Parts: sequence; structure tokens; C-alpha cells
Amino acid sequence: MTGLAAEKLVVTRGAATLIDDVSLAIAGSGSIAVIGPNGAGKSTLLKVLAGLDAPTSGRVLLGGRDLASLPRPERARTIGYLPQSFEPHWDLAVGELVRLGAERAERLPQEAIARATTAFELGGLERRRWSTLSGGERARVLLATVLVVDPPVLLADEPAASLDIRHRLEVIQALARPGADRLSIVVVHDLDLAFGFFDRIVVVDRGRIVADAPAGELIENPLLDSVFAVRFERLKTADGWSLRASLS
Amino acid sequence: MRAWLALGLALALAIVIAAAAGHEWATPGDLLGALAGDNDLRSRLLFEWRIPRVLAAGLVGALLGLGGTIFQGVFRNPLAEPYLLGSAGGAALGATVALLVPLAAPQSLALPLLAFAGAWGATVLVIGISRVSGAVDAAGLLLAGVAVAAILGALRSFVMLALSDETVSLQIVLSWVLGGVQTPTWSLLGLLALMSAACLGLCLMLAGRLDVLGLGETMAGAFGLDVRRFIAAAVLAGSVVVAVAVAFGGLVAFVGLAAPHIARWLVGPLHRPLVPASALVGAIIVVLADAIARAALPPAEIPLGLVTAIAGGPFFILLLARRLRT
Repeated sequence: MTGLAAEKLVVTRGAATLIDDVSLAIAGSGSIAVIGPNGAGKSTLLKVLAGLDAPTSGRVLLGGRDLASLPRPERARTIGYLPQSFEPHWDLAVGELVRLGAERAERLPQEAIARATTAFELGGLERRRWSTLSGGERARVLLATVLVVDPPVLLADEPAASLDIRHRLEVIQALARPGADRLSIVVVHDLDLAFGFFDRIVVVDRGRIVADAPAGELIENPLLDSVFAVRFERLKTADGWSLRASLS
Repeated sequence: MRAWLALGLALALAIVIAAAAGHEWATPGDLLGALAGDNDLRSRLLFEWRIPRVLAAGLVGALLGLGGTIFQGVFRNPLAEPYLLGSAGGAALGATVALLVPLAAPQSLALPLLAFAGAWGATVLVIGISRVSGAVDAAGLLLAGVAVAAILGALRSFVMLALSDETVSLQIVLSWVLGGVQTPTWSLLGLLALMSAACLGLCLMLAGRLDVLGLGETMAGAFGLDVRRFIAAAVLAGSVVVAVAVAFGGLVAFVGLAAPHIARWLVGPLHRPLVPASALVGAIIVVLADAIARAALPPAEIPLGLVTAIAGGPFFILLLARRLRT
């Protein structure tokens, strides 16, 4: 069980406070969407949880151990991180990228690479260069590269934002896969996707967590309207909820 | 596999052609005779002068290829090269001081050490300027490199004019600045070979992490790389490589730029194959350029740096144009 916890996190840059006294306790598996308006501090929070940025004060615990003291290779194997945008500086081939991802684990069997390649439908693309891939293919390559070592924790920063709806659905589905023995924390801008696919929603506003509840409970909370400064019309659909926003 | 075979054959062919080329061309029979230990004057000249020089040119070229690969990998910029980023200029200033200023240490020790200090200092200065000014992209780095190289060039000229009171020492520095491989003794060639092998090992040790760095600093951090520490270590390693190249070959432009590019076409962009491939391509280029320098206008010798600059300048312009278009 690789639980993730944040204790009194504060992140400041100059005079600005980006994360303000955030505490969070998350069990070892499940899917959590982090939502909030632009500039709320979602990406900063995710980077601190991933150990990529150090908090000004407070700490992150991974499986009860302080993330800051965890050896880097162990952290890289345990936490998979998907950035908001990814553009390798060299025009690597699909197979080369997935193998670089696999090198985070010591002696990862070749079958694991083949499994990731198959799972993300990259068979036959191994020799294709990054520059020749479509947006959807790139997203799948990135997922395979990060998930090839099967990290127990996955942190993703809105990785599907620039994709068309079909590819966005595919990526979100892969990240929030129900029943997966993995903890997925994903920054999501599309609230329909957040409420439709994730077990739990964390709402961030001005550097603080203002709500943290199961998706079904939070949907009717009027706090959503005030955080996003809109009026939401909540529509019950066959498989969940849909939100239609209008300027209030 | 085919690319490695082609590179190996091309290097062997380049060495044979370069060993044959000169004011007086040697036949394959002459070369075999020299290598077999024939004692006639022609064989001794080939064995004591031409062959060591060809091999030294190959090693200097390999070092330039390695240096270019490390710098391009660290800066994640295909236009980076030791000459353009000021590190070669820094090494040249250090070496000029070693050649002209009477120092307590022997010149054989002072020259590589000061060349290294100059290369490292100049590279750190270029990175510092581009970071402070916020221009960390390709253009920013190049402009900072050009500015630092210009200042270092001026300082070098000043040191040359102020400290050189004998025409001979000025000529030594000038010929060295224009780039040129001096004929080494076999023992000095052995030392250069050892240093080159150590540099190759150093670069191979960095190769896997250069690939991770190529994914971008955020992803590299997520993949467990201590990005800042690695960049500092790789710049230091690149400076060592450049310093050895400059100490033995003077200022030889554009090889560090062209060799990794050609190698990338042959073996792809991953650094583990790219590092040795760039060394081989660099060796081929400098062996051939040195042969042209010796054999084009006999009995005069064209400085090696001029040959590589004349050939490499258009290559750089081509790359720049392609990059700007994309």
C-alpha cells in the first residue's frame, strides 16, 4: 500500500504564496481529480506531491516515508509523473522513449515493455520518430513511457488538454482506470470528465484545498459555483452527471 | 551495425589517405615499409612524422566530436559546440597564457590545466549570462557564446601583443590559435591516446543521463535525475574534453558541431551510440582536413582551423537555416 500524504504544505515564490497550508491524506489506490480555476495552484501542488518541487515548508509522505529523503531512483520507480506538455529535445523513436522509461526500474523484463506497447496500441510504431506522430499517438507514447514500470502512484497534470474529445476520453480512461491497483491523482480542467471518471474530487482555490469529497457528494455543492465564478446547471444523465456553466 | 562498419571502414580509409598525402605522396608500399620498420629516410620520415601526426589528428577530431556531443546534449541544442559557446575560446586564452607567461609549472602541465580552466570558466560564464538575462533558448545561448568568445578573443590578442616580445613565440601562438595538430612523439601520442580513451569513457558514462535530460528538465527530474547537479558535472566533463582537444590541436572550428550531426544521421539521437559514433566522425573529419591542410598547397601548410572553418561555416549556416524554418 503506497499511500500519499501532504502535511501543512506551503509553497512561496517571492511574495506570492502558491500553496497555503495544504494537508491531504490519500490511500494507496483509487482515482482523484484535482480541479480548480486557472492559477489556483493545482500544477504546483502536483509537482510538490511528485517531489519535483520542494515545498517552502511542510512535507510529503510516500508510504509513511518523507519524500524528500527518498532516493531519487526509488522515487522515479514509485511515482509516475505526466507533465502538462511534453516535447523531447531529440527526435527519438517510440521504442527508444518507452525503453528510456523502462530504465527507471532495474532490469525490467522485456515482456513489460512489450506489455506497455500493446496496452497503449503502439505495436508497429516502435521505429516511428516522435516528430511524425499525431497528438493522440504522442499521448499514448507518453503514457506507455511513464507507466511501463507500473508505478503504484501516478500524478498527471492535465495531460489530455490539447487532444480531441476521443483521445481525451481514452487518456482519462487510462489514467482513472477503475479497479486499477494504483493511486492516480490527475489535474483535470474538464469538469464533466472529472465527475464522470474519478472516485474523489479535490477542489483547489487560491493555493488551498477548499473541498475534498467523493464525486457524487461534491457535484451538488454550491461551492463549485463560487470557486469557478459561474452558475452550474447540474444535469443528471444515464451514466452520471453533466455540468453546464453560464456566467452568473 | 552497417553504420558502424561504414564508420570503421571510412576511418581506416581516411587514415591511409592522410598518411599517404603530403608534399610528397607515399604509396601503400611506402606506408607498409614504414610500419614494418624499414630504416631508409623516407620510411623513417613517414614513421616519425607523418603517421603520428595523422593519428594525433584522428584523436583530436574524436575529442572534438565528443565535446560537441556533450555540449549539444547538455544544452539540448543541436547548434551548441565548444567553439561557438566560448569554451574553446576560453581554452585558447588559457593556453595562450601558458605559452607566453613564464610560470613555475612546466609548460606541458600548465598548458592543459590552463586550457581546462579557460574552457570551464567560459562555459560557466555563458550559462550564467543566458540564465541571468533569461535567454536560455538556442538563440540566447548562441548570442551569449558569441559575446563571450569575442571578449576572450580580444583578451587573447591583448595577451599575445603585450607579452610576446619574440617573433617566434608569437608565431607559435598564432599558428596554434589558427588550429593545427603538431607532430607528436610516439610517447606523447600514447599519452594523448590514453587521455582520449579516458574522455570517451567519461562521455559514455554521461550518455544514458544525457538521453534522460533530453526528455526535458521536468521529465528528467521525474525520471530520477538530479538535473542541476548533472548539468554542472556534464559541463565540467565537456570542458575537460575540449581542453584536451585544444591543448593538442589548437582552435579547430565546427568539427564539434558537424560530427554529432552526421553521427545522428547514421546512428540516431540516443547518446549511447551517438557518443562513440561522433568520436569516429570527428576523427574522420580532422584526419581528412589535416591531410588537405598538408597537401593542398605544398610546400606551404594551410592552418587546420582554416580548412575546417571553410568547410564547416556553410554547414553551420545550413543548419541554422533549417532550424529557423522549423
